[in-house]
Amino acid sequence: MPKIEVFQDALYKYAGKKYGDHELEEMLTVAKGELDDKDESSSELKIELNDTNRPDLWSTAGVGRQLRVYKTGEVPQYDFFSTADKEQDYGDRVVKIDPSVKDVRPYEVALAARGRAIDEATLKDIIQTQEKLCWNFGRKRRSIAIGVFRSDLLTYPITYRAADPDETKFVPLQMEEKLSLRQMTTEHPKGREYGHIVADFSTYPYLEDAKGEALSFPPVINSAYTGAVKVGDENIFIEMTGTELRDLILTANIVACDLADAGFEILPVKIVYPYETEFGGEIVSPFYFQQPVELELDRARKMLGVDFSPAQAKEALQKMGVRAEGEEKITVTVPPYRNDFLHEVDIIEDIMIGHGMDRFEPIMPSDFTPGRLTAEEEFARKVRDIMIGMGFQEMMYNYLGSKRDFIDKMELSGEEFIQIENPMTENYEFVRASIMPNLLHSESVSAHAVYPHHIFEIGKIAYLHDADNSGTVTRNSLGFLSSDGEVGFNEVSAHVSAIFYYLSRDYRLEELDDPRFIPGRAARILYRDQSAGMFGEVHPRVLENWGVQMPCTCCEIDLDTISLEE
Amino acid sequence: MDLDVKSLHPLEVKTLRHVKPGEEFDTERLVMELSFNIGQCNQAFSWLAAKGFIEEARRSERVVYELTELGRSYAEKGTPEERIVEVLEQEGPMKMPELARRLGLENRDVGSAYGQLSKEGVLSMDAEKNVSSTGEGASERMKTVRSLLERAQKNGELEGSDLSSEEQQAIGKISKKRGASGVPFKTADREEIVYRLSPNGAAAREALIAAGMTGEEIGALSPELLSTGAWKNKSFRAYNIQSPPNRVLLGRRNPYGEYLHWVKDKLSSLGFEEFDGPLVETEFWNGDALFMPQFHSARDIHDVYYVKNPSHAKEIEQPYLDQVAAAHENGWTTGSRGWGYSFDRNFTRRQVLRSQGTVLSAKQLPQAKVPGKYFGVVRCFRYDQVDATQGADFYQTEGIVLGEEVNLRTLLGLLKMFAEEIAGAEEVKYVPGYFPFTEPSIEVHIKHPELGWFELGGSGIFRPEVSKSLGVDVPVLAWGLGIDRMALMHLGLNDLRELFSPNIENVRLRRNQ
Repeated sequence: MPKIEVFQDALYKYAGKKYGDHELEEMLTVAKGELDDKDESSSELKIELNDTNRPDLWSTAGVGRQLRVYKTGEVPQYDFFSTADKEQDYGDRVVKIDPSVKDVRPYEVALAARGRAIDEATLKDIIQTQEKLCWNFGRKRRSIAIGVFRSDLLTYPITYRAADPDETKFVPLQMEEKLSLRQMTTEHPKGREYGHIVADFSTYPYLEDAKGEALSFPPVINSAYTGAVKVGDENIFIEMTGTELRDLILTANIVACDLADAGFEILPVKIVYPYETEFGGEIVSPFYFQQPVELELDRARKMLGVDFSPAQAKEALQKMGVRAEGEEKITVTVPPYRNDFLHEVDIIEDIMIGHGMDRFEPIMPSDFTPGRLTAEEEFARKVRDIMIGMGFQEMMYNYLGSKRDFIDKMELSGEEFIQIENPMTENYEFVRASIMPNLLHSESVSAHAVYPHHIFEIGKIAYLHDADNSGTVTRNSLGFLSSDGEVGFNEVSAHVSAIFYYLSRDYRLEELDDPRFIPGRAARILYRDQSAGMFGEVHPRVLENWGVQMPCTCCEIDLDTISLEE
Repeated sequence: MDLDVKSLHPLEVKTLRHVKPGEEFDTERLVMELSFNIGQCNQAFSWLAAKGFIEEARRSERVVYELTELGRSYAEKGTPEERIVEVLEQEGPMKMPELARRLGLENRDVGSAYGQLSKEGVLSMDAEKNVSSTGEGASERMKTVRSLLERAQKNGELEGSDLSSEEQQAIGKISKKRGASGVPFKTADREEIVYRLSPNGAAAREALIAAGMTGEEIGALSPELLSTGAWKNKSFRAYNIQSPPNRVLLGRRNPYGEYLHWVKDKLSSLGFEEFDGPLVETEFWNGDALFMPQFHSARDIHDVYYVKNPSHAKEIEQPYLDQVAAAHENGWTTGSRGWGYSFDRNFTRRQVLRSQGTVLSAKQLPQAKVPGKYFGVVRCFRYDQVDATQGADFYQTEGIVLGEEVNLRTLLGLLKMFAEEIAGAEEVKYVPGYFPFTEPSIEVHIKHPELGWFELGGSGIFRPEVSKSLGVDVPVLAWGLGIDRMALMHLGLNDLRELFSPNIENVRLRRNQ
């Protein structure tokens, strides 16, 4: 979830109104935003925005717009959008797409803006918007990368093509010498971060102007000459390249609306494709591509549990910046900076927010349903009562652990363990296949605790199991351990006997050869002729591995096996 | 001074009643007059001194002889001299080296023993150097030594002042202060404290006499006392009810488990049926079925733990796979336009460790009853640094409500019920939220009596892309509650890792605040 930093004054300018901190917090809920932090000295606010489908909110202008519209109910109008039917005047501003990028990074969209000298807050906001959009919405530049340029230095038409990584050179931002595109992927910090996106291609994406002046090597880095926008610049050119055309157009629209709200004049740019796109071969950007969406008002009434009049519903939508027409069936015009109406439920939610949460009266569901625990939980509770009755302390453990603890210290070979492919650390690399290592871990850190120790856990274990669809199986398991100078096979066997007696179940024992136990002092439990667990005196080698200096007996029983009726 | 003599121990009572103010007394006196053993004397003195009832009058020096390891062996098996005499009497004369071999002694030890014994007329030697017994038997000195050994073995040690002059002489030769392992006795100097009653002790004595306490009161009530009826003519000793009791190591629930147990009981009492599921899930259930696009940022390799092997499940259950895939691609028949990308049917089989409890809510849908209410308290795994606020694995409490008539207002009602019943909240506030699988989405914030305002949970109505694809045509309320925060508060903890503490003592001592 993106978190943005905004200057309080700038936010209130866009919002058209000043708010107190508490008031602002309340208001931000309409943008699904939370005031995270406030730096009193710089009056900079940190705002977290929860809706990952509303990238238009990830800027000062965007949040400010939502607050303003909510308060005034006035839907903003932007007149610079082209549509499929109507092209805006793009002057000489043309970007030509070369066929060579089709398989590398096929789409590019651009716009230009002019007007006033950029101040520091605006520049910071532009850069922040660019970063948030590329990172969260553009999948870390994979599907969207944005570049901002000084348009005074550019000559149209601009060309977007795939270039030779070794022959093509320019001076990238933050450097002073010319590097080849390939060198940038290894020598420039941004290249090391994003170079992998294009590294496997034989040619790399490249933007240059009519005079052959480099703009950028997307999605990696801009030219230090054309791409270093500074405070005071009045004319800028913004372009985005990527893999999803709709997302790119939406991004351009968001940036255009933000700049327009900041007082810039938006200058359309025509993109000429050599191949067909879903919007044709030529697109004049910013481009309004959204289709109207329809909603039967009764659907909203049923879902929200309130009898809205059409006027109320339309008013609520208007507060969310959404124009709607009609009566029982309303037609919604999607704002150019949004594309999150996948389903009518998305419109219904906007009605909900526009209407105001505090206007919905909670009622209780009236359906009667019987409550019930799972059979496994009921059985576990019986077993837990027996264990506690026998004087055992219940423990609860994490299910992830290391090879060292789960396998090596237990003297096991470990082939039935489920391993994590991308562990964060080797401490959490395996799923436990048994509770015994957790119990011994307890012993290893509890030598100071008054003896005797009687501890147990009822929990889940999981291990590899071919027959299952997943090749693994999760089981409910009971593990218990006793430790003190006096423990021995007889005692743990007595505990097992008591458990089975009070569960009204019979069991048999057979000799067990297992490296975790002392030979001749370990038993396998058979229930209905199936293996249902094991117990015995823990082998001193295992105790030594754990650094435990007190004799231990241990038992583990598969509760899913013994819960079956005889 | 208000004297509490009722709780005095019988040893204290007997001592106080026996000695008179002004008299001096020590261990020896009590042993003799009250038949205490040394340990009992010391116990009584230490307790009485601690209470200020007796005080030190002076100290006296005394010598005691302790039996050494060798001495104990002599006492049991005989001294070398006794064994020499015995062998010679039983087996007849023999030469000294043979005698040494026969008894397992050094030649020189046998030699010096012979020297002493021949002087005492116990042994003699002939011309062939055969040693034989004179038939006189043990000498007086030998008898003295034997008597010393036996008394020492019986009493543990010998008081120097108890010994006769012959005994003093005999023991002097076979005892040492240091390096005593080669002789049967170790000499030790003891400093003995001689006590007298303090004024308080004298008062306590008066109080005991006034109360008629003799120290013969019944302590523990034994089966014998009951069967013989001997208790009938006696009184019972009063115990000090303030003395700290022993610690009990009891069998006990884990306090966190107890809290989860309570939550489960609460939810089932509110009409919810519990669900559960395996720890290993597929991307299908963990994300796809929840309408999270496969390219969603939360589905990155850095957010979910992948199972190394088997990396993929064999298959995904139909028709849900086709329906979910279509919902992602074009909305299927759910009324949605979908995400508009090509659904990856290989990726969807990828196995992961369940990362959110909602997975099991979604999995419940194909078999859910209408109307129906379900919940689960389920273990989840998240790819994150382990610290005080997040563990490698943790419990989530999630559930769903299905019904023809459920809507936003019943969702709010449900949340209000949770807030009041489970969190004991005083005030409830609802704010719009965002979850990929619900629309609308609501966060519920509550004012907790102790924690103040915080987010109790997230909720919403399942998107039709989720519920319809899994075979449900009625609205489904979905909710999740942040139980752990309240559990920590109940247990007086502030670190989530503590909920799964392996430390036995910590868990034993933990209790609800």
